[in-house]
Amino acid sequence: MNDDRQSEFGRKVAQYLDRSVDELRPGTLYRLQQARAAAMAGVAAGETVSTELALAGVRGGIWSGSLRRPFGWLALVVLIAAGGFGYQQWHAMQQVREFEDLDLHLLASDLPIDAYLDRGFQNWLRAGFER
Amino acid sequence: MQRTAYNRRRSDKESRELARYQEISSFLADVERRAFRQAMYAVRDEDAALDIVQDAMLKLTENYSDRPVGELPMLFQRILQNAIHDHFRRQKVRSTWTTVLSALGYKDDRDEEYDPLETLGAKTDSNAASDPAANVEQRQTMRIIEQAISRLPPRQREAFLLRYWEELDVAETAAAMGCSEGSVKTHCSRAVHALAEMLEAKGMKL
Repeated sequence: MNDDRQSEFGRKVAQYLDRSVDELRPGTLYRLQQARAAAMAGVAAGETVSTELALAGVRGGIWSGSLRRPFGWLALVVLIAAGGFGYQQWHAMQQVREFEDLDLHLLASDLPIDAYLDRGFQNWLRAGFER
Repeated sequence: MQRTAYNRRRSDKESRELARYQEISSFLADVERRAFRQAMYAVRDEDAALDIVQDAMLKLTENYSDRPVGELPMLFQRILQNAIHDHFRRQKVRSTWTTVLSALGYKDDRDEEYDPLETLGAKTDSNAASDPAANVEQRQTMRIIEQAISRLPPRQREAFLLRYWEELDVAETAAAMGCSEGSVKTHCSRAVHALAEMLEAKGMKL
């Protein structure tokens, strides 16, 4: 069978297959339609969220209108979570800096570090503060 | 002034997004039924075929919605074929349990029960309805062709359907199947010969 004959045969078979497609059950067609709608919702949602987030700074926040949609709430929750995480990180960094300062003072001081373990020295320091 | 320019830019962007949305939606509407039949020929299970098509649609819209419309058919077919292969991979893992169950008396007789026309609804074409003999003959031909396609080896079936039903060219078919153009030609040629033989055996000549 040469190429032309093959193509002709293929086209004829395809015509029969097209007819079989036209006769799918309504239930199957409905489920396909639902599947398509679900896939397209992904496209619409993705573009809406990205657009809203991109425009949030320009428009003065995501409060204006976007919260009426479910994805507006999702964006808000994500922003709050990101804010909380950021604050936690900043707080941890602050603590590390404070400890660094304390260590630096202790190490740079003329006073030997063992002195802080001496109970008599601690009493002398406390008495000095009280005076 | 700035506000007007911003609104115009935003309106243009929304128009483009809407046009894009409609392009993808109409592409999927055009291809979904054939995709379902393709999946059915391969997996022979309506629910699994619907899952495969939905999975392919989701992957296309999630990952390739920004691609030019001309590329969508090839990309979608590639995703669809991968989804079918994934189904068989998962089935292979489950086959261990099937083997155990079959040893206990369970019989997997899908092949015997499968009828491609099970998923066909009532024909609404008035001409066909007015000529019952032609209608029956057409349905019989359709049934024989679908059964013959279902019996083709998977790669031959893929190549044949992509080339002649989806009307992809050899290069696009090769890209969708992840093989060389030479392999596509070989698979197509073998599929055509096998189909012609099967149809002749049933007394049909196309």
